[in-house]
Amino acid sequence: MKGLLIKDIRLMKGQGVVLLAMLILVALFLGVVSDVDSLFVVAYVTILLTMFVVSTISYDEYDNGYLFLMTLPITRKKYVNEKYIFGILISIFAWCVGMVTGTVLMIAQGANTGAGEWIGGNLMCICIAWVLMSIMMPLRFKFDSEKARYANIFMFALIAAVAYGVSRISQYVPENILGKVSGFFSSLGDNGILALCAGIAVAALLVSYICSQRIMARKEF
Amino acid sequence: MLEINGLVKKYKDFTLDCSMKVGRGCITGLVGENGAGKSTSFKAALGLISYDSGDIKLMGKAPSELTESEKQKIGVTLAESGFSGYLKVKDIVPVMAAMYPEFERERFLSLCRRFSIPQDKCIKEFSTGMKAKLKVLAAVTHNADFLLLDEPTTGLDVMAREGILDLFREYMEEDENRSILISSHISSDLEGLCDDIYIIHEGKIVLHEEMDNLLNEYGLIKADDRQYAKLDKEHILSVRRTPYGYDCLTDQGRFYRENYPDLVVENGSLDETITMMTGGERL
Repeated sequence: MKGLLIKDIRLMKGQGVVLLAMLILVALFLGVVSDVDSLFVVAYVTILLTMFVVSTISYDEYDNGYLFLMTLPITRKKYVNEKYIFGILISIFAWCVGMVTGTVLMIAQGANTGAGEWIGGNLMCICIAWVLMSIMMPLRFKFDSEKARYANIFMFALIAAVAYGVSRISQYVPENILGKVSGFFSSLGDNGILALCAGIAVAALLVSYICSQRIMARKEF
Repeated sequence: MLEINGLVKKYKDFTLDCSMKVGRGCITGLVGENGAGKSTSFKAALGLISYDSGDIKLMGKAPSELTESEKQKIGVTLAESGFSGYLKVKDIVPVMAAMYPEFERERFLSLCRRFSIPQDKCIKEFSTGMKAKLKVLAAVTHNADFLLLDEPTTGLDVMAREGILDLFREYMEEDENRSILISSHISSDLEGLCDDIYIIHEGKIVLHEEMDNLLNEYGLIKADDRQYAKLDKEHILSVRRTPYGYDCLTDQGRFYRENYPDLVVENGSLDETITMMTGGERL
């Protein structure tokens, strides 16, 4: 596991640092020029850098490298474990960097956001990053980079379609049911909704991890 | 070290049907033309692919059941795969050190210098020869008990090939219990290295022989039509029609030299044996 983590850190070191620097610069530029919300900066840095973790699988795959990797003293299970641990670690690192950048921007903009609202918004960003990682990781294990790209597009299109469908169907849901659902979410409050999102993100990671383990166990090299 | 019994792996247009054994302290060669099933055999032996039937024991266990510590005692080079091209040698060193407790960092680095492998250059920018050398150096520097080497000398010039073959000899001399399974299409590499050899053709093992026997006892008989008609075919393994008559591969060269003094019987060589066993008509 340690060897795999070192490998991934080394793989990311070259491109990752450049990407991170670019993300921060673009985010700050957007914040200064277009007066974009500082929370956008946190989301932007956290989500894009977390997505980059998935691309380390492409680096492993480059030039048939997967085959050789699996002859090293690691198991398929440990390989999947490492990718998820690495993904979570990098997402937390990116989130911290994003938060610092966003906070600097917020102070510079003189925005008047409450601490609770700011931290809550930030936590939502990492939850979204984890959900996206949960979708992309098993697809990347299952398919090669080209097919995985199409699979990702399909998955995100499917999610958008489902979201749209739900919003359309909600018009036909009887008022009393809609009222109950709306009441339930209102009763949760900000903290409750945040806890619900965190629960969804962790559940998505768990389901994704189990799927990835199954895919990897059956993979032919 | 490795025992493959009745391994069958079916693809759409190819079936591998293979049995072989690599004993402790032995260097065993596997030769065959491209697409004969060498790499598939390696992949199956390493648990990288599933198979339809048969039984594989690598260091006493099914390959998929090997633990990390057991895999640390195996060194592998694969013909079509290696470290990620985005890594540099200086990145590989800490990875190897973390993965193999007995990794010899200094020896690895000194061998890299000896074989002119740059440490600060991405592997994807390496020449084919450099990549091949790096794979071998990584395999022989962590005190493995067993090396599985699929085409380790491909892309190397003569000098580099000799250097790498010497490394394998040194590796074996360090501990008499070590073993190597090596595949190559350069038969001269295997002739001077292997204790025994398997020839694979269209997914099947067509010959297994001790290398000494093959070089000392085997012979290639050059016979015209009349001589061939009178020839005792009992010890003929394979026959090929030629413009002047027949080429016959025998595992009893001395027998034909003594009993047929007018026949030309050339000494056995791995090249001729491969050609005859894969291209001739087997009797």
